[in-house]
Amino acid sequence: MKANMKLKNRYDKIASTSVYTLGFIGVIILSMIIFYVTTTGLSLVSWDTITGDSATINTNVYLDTGAGNYMPDEILPEEIFYSETWGIGLIDTRDREGHPIIEIAYLHPESPLLTSLDKNNTDEEGNPIEIEIKLDTAIEKAIFNNFTSFAFLTDGAEVMRDQFEQATSISDLTVQIVGGGIRGSVITTFWMIGLTLILSVPVGVSTAIYFNEFAKRTRFSSIIRNLVDMLTGVPSIIYGLLGAAVFIPLLNSTIGTGGGSVLSGALTMAVILLPTIIKSTEEALKIIPDDLRKGSLALGANQTQTIFNVVLPNATPGILTGVLLGIGRIMGESAALIFAVGAVIKDSVFLTERSSTLAVHIWVIMGGEAPNFELAAAIAIIILVVVFVINFIVKIFAHQLQKNMNWS
Amino acid sequence: MLSVQSYITPKNIKKKNRGDLIARNIFRATSILSASFVVIVIIIIAIRGLNPFFTSYEGFNNVTGIVYLEPVNPVTFLLNNQWLQGPVGASSDYGIGFAILNTIIAVIMSTFITVPVAVLTALLIAKVAPKRIAAFLRTVVELLASIPSIIYGVIGLGVITNIVSWFAGLFGVQTAAGLSLMSTVLVLFMMTLPTITAVAETSIRSVKKDIIEGSLALSATPMQTYFKVVLTSAKSGIFAGIILGVGRALGEATAVSMVSGNSFSGVTFNVLETTSTLTSRMLLGIKETSGIDYDIRFSVGLVLMIVILVTNVSLKAVMKKVGNLDES
Repeated sequence: MKANMKLKNRYDKIASTSVYTLGFIGVIILSMIIFYVTTTGLSLVSWDTITGDSATINTNVYLDTGAGNYMPDEILPEEIFYSETWGIGLIDTRDREGHPIIEIAYLHPESPLLTSLDKNNTDEEGNPIEIEIKLDTAIEKAIFNNFTSFAFLTDGAEVMRDQFEQATSISDLTVQIVGGGIRGSVITTFWMIGLTLILSVPVGVSTAIYFNEFAKRTRFSSIIRNLVDMLTGVPSIIYGLLGAAVFIPLLNSTIGTGGGSVLSGALTMAVILLPTIIKSTEEALKIIPDDLRKGSLALGANQTQTIFNVVLPNATPGILTGVLLGIGRIMGESAALIFAVGAVIKDSVFLTERSSTLAVHIWVIMGGEAPNFELAAAIAIIILVVVFVINFIVKIFAHQLQKNMNWS
Repeated sequence: MLSVQSYITPKNIKKKNRGDLIARNIFRATSILSASFVVIVIIIIAIRGLNPFFTSYEGFNNVTGIVYLEPVNPVTFLLNNQWLQGPVGASSDYGIGFAILNTIIAVIMSTFITVPVAVLTALLIAKVAPKRIAAFLRTVVELLASIPSIIYGVIGLGVITNIVSWFAGLFGVQTAAGLSLMSTVLVLFMMTLPTITAVAETSIRSVKKDIIEGSLALSATPMQTYFKVVLTSAKSGIFAGIILGVGRALGEATAVSMVSGNSFSGVTFNVLETTSTLTSRMLLGIKETSGIDYDIRFSVGLVLMIVILVTNVSLKAVMKKVGNLDES
């Protein structure tokens, strides 16, 4: 008997240890995800990245004259290397991915560089076009004195300044607006969320109302209900094909878009969100006590009035839950949008053209030979923060709904 | 004298009811619209997916210029061991057989890892752990479930492939930078774990107290009770979770396409070799939005839907059998 007890206890110990060990794998995975994205991407999460252009734009300019003596009208900090000949102050810094660059930190108000000339393009009459060099742009390469001396970004700001000092003319200056920003994708994501919800919420809520308030247990309504349930099981990439095969041609022929667009993506996302919104609205409608409806009907309101004035206001937390979960889904959706919109990163967003949301942005920069882990992790942090906050709010709503249920 | 009754005239009632009828029809129409999308999806994917088998596409050949390609042969498409024989645009000899098998292999492998972990996590949350730890773990599982697949892809490429490539290095095996079946399986494991755990937890929690107390009264230890009584009673719920998880794994696209290596041919059981699933084949190399190389993706989508449907139906049949055994 005693031996038996001992055996039992040992079995219990082994079993509970293994349950605890395996049960904490989820915690390990979550910590790994959070640890990886924060260590890799946190330094890139900044207002600068969010509002920055994605594309790196190089401009080549030249100046044959203008060298002079431009004294700075303020005392410049030590780390700025200033060339009096051209009135330009350079600084060593790093771009968003941590590579060293030389940036223009100061420009004399009368610096000739403010009216430098475009090297590659001329206007219609063949005259050179003036280009204004701006602050905070990077200099990739500078060639002086009829291609006899030069400095590259790898030389550092001090060497480049010395070259500027000795130069009498600038033959080819490559000025770079550093890319790696995500402004276009942030804007697209906002548009995608707004448009999708406008399309999806009315249809979803109205379907839920029909299921819960009107539909009798007929064959017809059960078929409809089953079909809607089936929407949940379809993988998102198949919805992407739906967008590519139905919504893109539809928009092409009606409003004349050429290929995928933000609109076709929103239509596709609206279909994806339908089951989520229907389900959470229905959950909320189900727990509204029937007394409320009967009371309203007894006061002479018809069913429609009851729904809009009594039922729906009480179902608001449920509808909002659906909307929030929907926002999370839109933020994270990638496969469907790759097909229904196309994977193209844009800096200026048009609803009738292709553009990528944040999730698709990650997909684009992670594809190819040199994946950009830092920016991908930074975008991942943004998506994760939004999704986790949504999760938190949904929990609060669920709590509130439970309270509501207990009121009667 | 004004009474309530003066408002209830036949005309008023008629007006009220007419408004009601219109609203009811609008509600009904939207529900039909919602339901119609599934039908549209199935019809459209079927039409577009079958199209390459009947149409002759315009292709381009370096020697003769524009050529008309043979329609894709459906039998070789389903059985071929190579994605495309010949250059893109100059050949219509597509094949998806290897990807079907690779998909099934990856999903089965990941399910075998996921199920024990998910079930034990669910047991821990529902019964074993003290309230606070349970609440913490439940939050963790919910957060994991809410993380979108693209982020699992980033983790897969940034962490998992490195681990796999290091692991392979221990055995002196060279991998394609860690892009492999093993990475695919691990990413699928991370993604299906919260799905299966959540469903299993609900069903374990709803096991009746009488059964548990009965088992304890018969001098079984708590752990014996949990493993032999609770888990058996929650069997059907756990199975439902597995079906959901397998469905998610089969349809998972972006994360898998990022870590699988997207091989062009060959069925692989070797966990350190590159693989390619149906979804990753659909996503790879989209450039044009017309022509055979684009339209063939609809055929792959059609195959994917059939695979998911067949898996679902057969798993449900298995579940029914398991459930019946319970009753007899």
